[in-house]
Amino acid sequence: MISWVTIPAGSYQVGVPELIDNPRRNVVIKAFEISKYEVTNQQFYEFVQATGYITDAEQRHNGRAFAPGLKEFRWLSDKTANWHFPNGRSRGGIQAKMDHPVTCISFRDAEAFCRWAGVRLPTLDEWEIAARGGTDGRYFCDSRSLRQYANIWGGRDHLTADTSDGYMTTAPVGAFKPNPLGLYDVYGNVFEFSSGRLRSDTRATQRHSRGGSWWCSKNSCCFFNSVDVGTVSVWASFSNQGFRLARDIR
Amino acid sequence: MKRASVCAILLLASAALFAQNDIPKASKASIAYRANRETLTKPSFGLAKVEALIKKYKLRDKDEAPLPAAEYKKLTIKEKFTYHMIYGEVSSQNCDVMPTLVDEEKHIYAYPPGAFQDERSWSDSQMAEIKKNRNAFLPLIQQTILKGKIGCNLKQAILELEAFELIPSMCEVYKRKRYDHDILSVLMILMKEGKFKPFMESASYKKLYGDEESSYQSFLVANKENQDLIMSRATAFYASKRR
Repeated sequence: MISWVTIPAGSYQVGVPELIDNPRRNVVIKAFEISKYEVTNQQFYEFVQATGYITDAEQRHNGRAFAPGLKEFRWLSDKTANWHFPNGRSRGGIQAKMDHPVTCISFRDAEAFCRWAGVRLPTLDEWEIAARGGTDGRYFCDSRSLRQYANIWGGRDHLTADTSDGYMTTAPVGAFKPNPLGLYDVYGNVFEFSSGRLRSDTRATQRHSRGGSWWCSKNSCCFFNSVDVGTVSVWASFSNQGFRLARDIR
Repeated sequence: MKRASVCAILLLASAALFAQNDIPKASKASIAYRANRETLTKPSFGLAKVEALIKKYKLRDKDEAPLPAAEYKKLTIKEKFTYHMIYGEVSSQNCDVMPTLVDEEKHIYAYPPGAFQDERSWSDSQMAEIKKNRNAFLPLIQQTILKGKIGCNLKQAILELEAFELIPSMCEVYKRKRYDHDILSVLMILMKEGKFKPFMESASYKKLYGDEESSYQSFLVANKENQDLIMSRATAFYASKRR
């Protein structure tokens, strides 16, 4: 069961002046719906049960895992990391986290889920319009209150674990306050794949994601905002990478 | 109805005007500087051979793709250096440490861009190899950078190796054009990692690394005073390490 929020057709402002890849501009979109929550482990489990799908990380053994003690922007190459064990088998599975967002899946895996569910990923512009919820600028909320809305990293670095908000990695979807449109976890929890290209893209394997994740801190990768755009390989499966859904209004 | 149509036309016109006018005009200098920041420096040692091997095994078309061990073993130490400097074996995630910004050429950022700009990074085994071969790789880095440029890959290698020995060479390269301010970032990170007291107690350190609000996008203004101060401190740091 997916809960949807409707975004009306219209002209919306996106971007900010200082970002060359996402400059301030107006875009015109058709009406669409976007899921209120990120796709959960339970929903991905149902997809796998129905289709027998095997994810990229399960086939390629290229999952990228996290454990406290790593330098900034470093990830572990763990051949046992996949959506069942997002940070590797030794760090536990998702049995007690079925209401958390699915992670350690690639862009291709997210697309496969969408095909099965008859939906799609939001475009870069759609994601931003929904994330802003009618507000302007980097944040839909006062930046000083971000941690009420976003599961992000509170430590100065990643050398020691941070559970200051109750969660070291993912949190159950909807555990934090929603944005003005009622979308949860727009910032933080997991980076969310979006479709589309940036003007600076040069490689066919580049894909993009938005909103930052539980890994992001204000000192490192402060992408828990409406405007920054992350880039990742189409094959890559990180334990802070997930997605939410969109669909056209018929 | 007619009035509504006029209003709609006016709204559309103003929106179009707004859209055109509000896109930031990054100067040609900024765009060129950004491109330069993300440029790799390809070492010349066996470059054609190493590139041919990468192509032969279609490594760039795959994820988690190291050169076959047998082929790697056959490389000379110089060719191994080239291999590591031009190719990352695993996927990385660019939650873009450095989103493209206007006026980049006027800033000295806290950190330079990553080693590669193609969503790749060094694997754990590559990191181990680079560190294991520190003594052999340092002179190769020096020879390469003294030819003129210190690409983002070489900057990261210098940081991985905490190669304070290359501080004089880096200052020499920077002074030639005073263009690539990421060289100054590397000097500052070396001082930070070396816990060099005069730097750790400076306002620059506090702003870039020590302040509660500092981040990967923090920067100093790239004026001559800041440039000279960073090189002067780095030179003192180098001297302290040589004692």
